[in-house]
Amino acid sequence: MRKSFVAASIAATLALSSLPTLATSTQTNASQQSWQDTLQQAKGQTVYFNAWGGADNINDYIQWAADRIKAEYDVTLKQVKLTDTSDAVNRVLAEKAAGKNSNGSIDLIWLNGENFRAMKDNNLLFGPFSQSLPNYMTYVDENARQSLTQDFGTPVDGMESPWGMAQVIFMHDTATLSNPPKSIADLLTYAKAHPGRVTYPEPPQFLGSTFLKQALYELTPYRKALSQPADSVDFEKITAPLWAYLDQLHQVAWRNGQTFPSSSEEMVRLLDDQEIDIALNFDISSASVQIDKGNLPDTVRSYVFTGGTIGNTHFLAIPYNSGAKAGAQVVANFMLSPEAQIKKQTPTIWGDLSVLSYAKLPAAEQAKFDALPRGIATLSIEELGQTLPEPHSSWVGALESEWRKRYAQ
Amino acid sequence: MPLKHAKWITGIITLLLIFPIAIGLVGTLLPAFQYFPPLGEYHISLAPWRNLFSQGEFYASLKLTLITGIGAPLLALWLALSLLAWGYQRPFFRKVEAALSPILAIPHAAMAIGLLFLLSPSGWLVRLFSPWLTGFDRPPNWITVQDPYGVSLILALVIKEMPYLLFVMLATMKSIKARESLQVGQALGYSRFTLWRKVLIPQLYPIIRLPIFIVVAFSLTVVDLALVIGPNTPSTLAVTLLRWFNDPDLSMRLMASAGAISLMLVIVVVLAGWELAHLLFSKLTRAERSNGKRFGLTDSLLRLGVVLGLLALLNAFVALALLPIWSLARRWRFPDALPSQWTWDNIDRATPLLIELTSNTLTIALITTLMACTISLVMLETKRHDMARSTDISKPHLFDWLIYVPILLPQIGFLFGLHVLLIYLNLNGDLCAIIALHLMYVLPYVYLTLKGPYLAYEEEYLLQANRLNHQPWRNYVLVKIAMLKPAIFTAFAIGFSVSIAQYLPTLIAGEGRYSTLTTEAVAQAASGDRKQVGSMAMLQAFFPIMVFWLAQFIPPHWTRWRLVLKNLFSRRNKSCSV
Repeated sequence: MRKSFVAASIAATLALSSLPTLATSTQTNASQQSWQDTLQQAKGQTVYFNAWGGADNINDYIQWAADRIKAEYDVTLKQVKLTDTSDAVNRVLAEKAAGKNSNGSIDLIWLNGENFRAMKDNNLLFGPFSQSLPNYMTYVDENARQSLTQDFGTPVDGMESPWGMAQVIFMHDTATLSNPPKSIADLLTYAKAHPGRVTYPEPPQFLGSTFLKQALYELTPYRKALSQPADSVDFEKITAPLWAYLDQLHQVAWRNGQTFPSSSEEMVRLLDDQEIDIALNFDISSASVQIDKGNLPDTVRSYVFTGGTIGNTHFLAIPYNSGAKAGAQVVANFMLSPEAQIKKQTPTIWGDLSVLSYAKLPAAEQAKFDALPRGIATLSIEELGQTLPEPHSSWVGALESEWRKRYAQ
Repeated sequence: MPLKHAKWITGIITLLLIFPIAIGLVGTLLPAFQYFPPLGEYHISLAPWRNLFSQGEFYASLKLTLITGIGAPLLALWLALSLLAWGYQRPFFRKVEAALSPILAIPHAAMAIGLLFLLSPSGWLVRLFSPWLTGFDRPPNWITVQDPYGVSLILALVIKEMPYLLFVMLATMKSIKARESLQVGQALGYSRFTLWRKVLIPQLYPIIRLPIFIVVAFSLTVVDLALVIGPNTPSTLAVTLLRWFNDPDLSMRLMASAGAISLMLVIVVVLAGWELAHLLFSKLTRAERSNGKRFGLTDSLLRLGVVLGLLALLNAFVALALLPIWSLARRWRFPDALPSQWTWDNIDRATPLLIELTSNTLTIALITTLMACTISLVMLETKRHDMARSTDISKPHLFDWLIYVPILLPQIGFLFGLHVLLIYLNLNGDLCAIIALHLMYVLPYVYLTLKGPYLAYEEEYLLQANRLNHQPWRNYVLVKIAMLKPAIFTAFAIGFSVSIAQYLPTLIAGEGRYSTLTTEAVAQAASGDRKQVGSMAMLQAFFPIMVFWLAQFIPPHWTRWRLVLKNLFSRRNKSCSV
């Protein structure tokens, strides 16, 4: 009974999307058939989902998805909690080294940027698959954001399926700091006036690297060059203002720039302890979530820089040697459903931005998105303002190694 | 042990040990010389080494590693010796001894998180005195933890290592006849500290050399402690290597492998240097030791060590006491010395995970430790045989060296090499693989703890029992094992806590499919959420502490309970027969 209902509802959604032309309609019929095959194959499979496990609200959300997927598709989703996504990349590599080309230990990875590039370049991924997922075809508008097709400048090419979007936000406690600095330059002025109260996570932690990119965007006169590979441009000339800036910032930074926080979670803790005045985060609703959990005072608010902040998309990918590729695709497709995306964007659950195109949604789902409550410290889409694109993914490594050369020896 | 083929079994176990060690080593050596087929590297070259030596961070990390890796064991040894010299055989010292086991039992990461909260500028110590005394409404911008010189890391290492050394030393007191020497010496008018310095410590050192080496190797290679409380610009070499191994740029692994090989070499060089320094030191002090003076100026070094040692212990206890409070806190902000809002939520949230994690953790730890105890007994029996037969007692079996290789090698690199082997055997992600890897790390500690008491056992008891009633197996268990009960229980407790604390081996062999309390706690520690870490660490510490407590509690009561049971049964039998 339930199965036939699911099949009918999928057929219905596919039928909706196939209205425009006959060509896409026949194409959809074919893909509909193959998707039916995928659903059949997936039944009874167990999908080992390797995902960073450092935040329990996200783990809870994955558990919710697992329960839904089990009930609807008879696919068992098991989260393998990682402390670092590269652990999973390393594991696939070790399996390739041992010649284990089927039934690998990982079926689905949550990743983006450098990790995606490393896996794609070393042929460690299955695909292309994302563009033929029913929910992708129905609800995702590839032109809506560059980061949907260019993951840190690496072409996605259907090798990973979008899951959510993130943007850098800053948090401050209005009780101690009412008028926070709203640009990289103002941040330095503030730090000079309040020594020891400003810091950022230690690169190569991804948020730390993002801070470097944000600063570079605002400081360098050669913005355009950032979309080129880092080794094809004059790295020294382009980044010189960044290092000059950091040299000054570190002198007045938290613990004199001798140590740096290890993660955005540690920054939240330091903000709560009042060791620092400004924390940054990649999760737009984190301030609300943390207030709710009692980890921050309710006087904390989020804000973004006036010139915009860096944003990106995070994805799900399937390793080439997964033994449950059909099940993994079913999971990736479910994660793209309006139901899953609405739940994910609920501030008290996770608050991660939807990757679906609002315009492509049926009115009923649009209404649900409109009705989503916002936490007291979460910015609206308009307030988030302009999103700066990620530089080409080669900049991450280049900036990190230069940073470590200068400040970690 | 009336085992006929003990020698053969020993041989097989030795081979089983050599195999993974060799594979792990080869798996690190080849990539260090650019041979790494999965990345399409088939040509031996020195490029990874050239890359390594061109990294400024390598030298900076190495320097830090040497400072912390040599400083911490030196301090730990000094403080442990001082405490022992001061308190041995004094009644109140029993309490200090009992207090050691929780510190031994608690996992490193949990201890580091506790210390971090105690000592950081927004930590509990500053909170205790703020704002009424210090005037701080906000935490000062001090560097009290994660300092660039690694002082806080050394402190954390000392707190973990000093109790271990003290524990080991206490176990050897009988074999060096410490009590007798003390009586004679004091009768001759030597002061307590002088006596220890001149007579007992020189005898003690050779016996505890291996535990000291383990501590040195541990300090040089520790990852989880250094991640939490160590400096990060630069970090210690082990942490830097971990970062390189995990770099998304996969070719960094070649350089990381070269780094892992250099870390192995560093361990060898430091240990050799340590031995040399000891030789020189004992040569230099020989004259002073035999000058017949009953007191010495250097006695005050031991006195100072007592004060510092007690301070370190106090630190550890406060840090441990603070963790459970976090698990009940909702709001606990600077400068509050206690939470302003309390809640059960943190514990509630952790509960569902608890059952799965606990059953995994206990299964792995119990099987591993039982296997380690059995293997150790077989190995020791072979060794006893050899010693009884040959006149050259000091001749060690190959096993004696091999067994310590896994704990003397840095886990990073070695375990990555071993992982490939597990995949070849199709054992990756399997419970057996986790147990096998745990066994490599548990076995040395169990063996080491059992070795002294087992070899010192007066074999006459067993022989006499066999003469009276020739039932070798029964007598072995009921006489010898029964008499060695305290040692076996202690060895079990140590092995158990070592197994529970394993992070990297569990993660690599289990591929994340088997979570234990420790893997979960370290994953939570990564999030920096003290409330979660508090609940996790508490659970993680609970079982080892229980087992340690049982190991101390059961042996003295065992016989009484056994007799009560026996009486019960014999009475029932009698009533049946009547």
